[in-house]
Amino acid sequence: MRKRSMKRLGAFVAAFTAAGVLAACGSTNAGNTTTTGGSTPAGQWTTSHPFKVAWIYVGAKSDAGWTHQHDLGRQAVQNAFGGRVETLYKENVPEGPQVTTTIDQLVNDGANMIFATSFGFQPYVVAAAKKYPNVIFEQATGTDVGKNLAEYGGAGEDGDYLAGMAAGYATHNGKIGFVAPYAIPEVIREIDSYTMGARLVHPGATVKVVWTNSWFNPAAERQAAQSLVASGVDVLGDGVDDPTVGEVAASAGIKWTGYDSNQNQYAPSAYLTNTIYDWGPYYVRDVRTAMEGTWQSHFYYGNMTDGTITIAPFGSSVSEAAKTAILAKAAEFKKGTFNQFTGPVYKQDGSVGIASGETIPIWNASDPSTLSRYTLSWFSEGVIGSAKG
Amino acid sequence: MIPISVRFEPRERLSRWTNVWVPFFAIVLALVIAGIVLAVSGHNPITTYQQIIEAAFTQPGAFTQTLVSTTPLLYTGLAASIAFRMRIWNIGAEGQLYLGSIAAAGVGLYLQNLPAPVVVIAMMAGGAVAGSLWAAIPGALRAYLNTNEILTSLFLNYIADYLMYYLIFDSTSFWRDLTSPAARVFPQGKFLPASGNWPALSIGSVTVPLGLILAIVLAGLLWGMIRGTRYGFEMRVMGDAPRAAKHAGMNIRRKILSIMLLSGAVAGLGGASQVGDFRHVLDPRGLEQAQFGYTGIVVAALARYNPISAVVAALGIGVLTNAGLALQGPNFPIGLTGTMEGILLFCVLGSEIFVRYRLRIGRTSGPVAPRRAEAAPGPARTAAEIASTERRELAS
Repeated sequence: MRKRSMKRLGAFVAAFTAAGVLAACGSTNAGNTTTTGGSTPAGQWTTSHPFKVAWIYVGAKSDAGWTHQHDLGRQAVQNAFGGRVETLYKENVPEGPQVTTTIDQLVNDGANMIFATSFGFQPYVVAAAKKYPNVIFEQATGTDVGKNLAEYGGAGEDGDYLAGMAAGYATHNGKIGFVAPYAIPEVIREIDSYTMGARLVHPGATVKVVWTNSWFNPAAERQAAQSLVASGVDVLGDGVDDPTVGEVAASAGIKWTGYDSNQNQYAPSAYLTNTIYDWGPYYVRDVRTAMEGTWQSHFYYGNMTDGTITIAPFGSSVSEAAKTAILAKAAEFKKGTFNQFTGPVYKQDGSVGIASGETIPIWNASDPSTLSRYTLSWFSEGVIGSAKG
Repeated sequence: MIPISVRFEPRERLSRWTNVWVPFFAIVLALVIAGIVLAVSGHNPITTYQQIIEAAFTQPGAFTQTLVSTTPLLYTGLAASIAFRMRIWNIGAEGQLYLGSIAAAGVGLYLQNLPAPVVVIAMMAGGAVAGSLWAAIPGALRAYLNTNEILTSLFLNYIADYLMYYLIFDSTSFWRDLTSPAARVFPQGKFLPASGNWPALSIGSVTVPLGLILAIVLAGLLWGMIRGTRYGFEMRVMGDAPRAAKHAGMNIRRKILSIMLLSGAVAGLGGASQVGDFRHVLDPRGLEQAQFGYTGIVVAALARYNPISAVVAALGIGVLTNAGLALQGPNFPIGLTGTMEGILLFCVLGSEIFVRYRLRIGRTSGPVAPRRAEAAPGPARTAAEIASTERRELAS
């Protein structure tokens, strides 16, 4: 359900001030770095007849967040298969009819497989999958599957549980603030997990939520973070793309957990850790099966066990005790022996959200009204704020 | 000191010929400059230009997609053109388009069981009225309180954006889908049934959306209105010589308001077309990312506020948009497509000065010559003189 809200300042207008962009022309691109393909058998594809796989990004690949992580995954594919694949990408593609334009162009250029990395692309991707039955489509964080259309996502909330633990160790007064994008299940389960993690190591800790209604809005994030600082929190977390919240935390002299990619460099004095999405292993696996002709449609939800989700290296202020406890919990996630959405989980108002011993599924496609991670829409105990946005 | 002066002098007469060759050479110049940039960054300019033509016109389905990109830009370009022609700076086409989408989606969903032609026409009417009413706010503020419409219309864009988001993200509104599996995962609007999907015209392999046909007809009507009606004449006078208009007894307030209503209606129709022609749903995020209203300002500037030229300008930007999507990739950074677009727009817009002014290079024997007397109206001139001068300039 991830979708960037990069405000495109009409590419045209922006271009007037884009003289500096010329510098970008000189930058090297992974598309050309053909390393040796290793010993991977992958069908009949050769350097003269490569498998063409394309990514459609809603944001810029330099966004230091969501799209950046997908592009690292693309580069991993290129490195894994060398000249036997040709990777393509299109960035800043707006959600709307231009997704169809882009897919048409990619298929025209001979794309064999297309990954769409924003939820808002879904209606157009579903239509394209019917139009081009010989092309394999994969839609990130979506819901619809078909013969040549798969879905994939990742349990960012598991990493958030660990980041929440780091926040719980760092807070002195038990008051944590969280700058959140949209009041949607994906973000709500992240905040619930973060809060459960914090309360595991700091019983009674609270997480106060302020919404920005955007994945990317530095001005709104700054305001939200400042209002949280003013309300007395001594740790800030966020679920948005850019590291603005970290800058506020650093200037207020408090701690911070980021999101999406390793954001340590943006506010090292405040930085604790954060969830990282690593799509590389998944992309390599699926491109391989597609190249070998054994690809099958699926609904995939990556986690710490398969390496899709990791947490960033700890910041310098994280204590040894905290590191040990967090890594021990991370090991449980990896082994699959811990699930924060196994009851009892209490709601914000103290009532039972998930009954003792019960574990909610990731998503129940045959009955979407079932409580699942994909549909969870209430805050857990300790969260301050409204889950309605 | 070098005894050479370089001056711009206003042209005595604006010839049609100048209007053609200046933009033409501007485009050629842009292609040359962009070609150098391409060559320096290691791309073959000729191949790149070929790719642009293929992506916009010749590949299967490419021209159909170009028209898809062109349609909304023509609406917002027209909306901006007619307001700007009268020097009413309606920057609010973005928000007026959002309101048009909200209304059209609402009407389409509400009337979904009626016959399709009724639904389609009702959606158009709804979109136009909603865009119009939204534009009436800055229009009335400007007309009666002399508020700066640039600011008010711009700020209303944000409010319209929040309204759209509220309807889909933060409320259980009529527009919001609360039942489908996808909607449980991420908030989205209800999709319109077939009755609300506007028909399209197929010419050979090219599909022309109904919204585009309507927009082109609208462009013709607006052009005729500006050129051939009393309303249009008054509009031009108010734009070019506001003092003359005042002295001639024209009702400026009513005109400002009516132009804003018209401009908003056009933008609102563009919003209705987004729902009816392409998206079939109220899609706040997609509309916000597209920024049609702001790009429409560029279209209007390229078209020099002429509705017929706006058709060409919108098509041009549609071509660039789709070509930009096609070109960018691992070997072609997105910044380079932006740079090429920027060079082209800069050359074409910048060349405007050569249409209105003549470059005079010559030897000087003294200080720069004084400005032409008639360019600096003094207080001694009567209102009638001013009016006649301004009208003469207008007529030329």
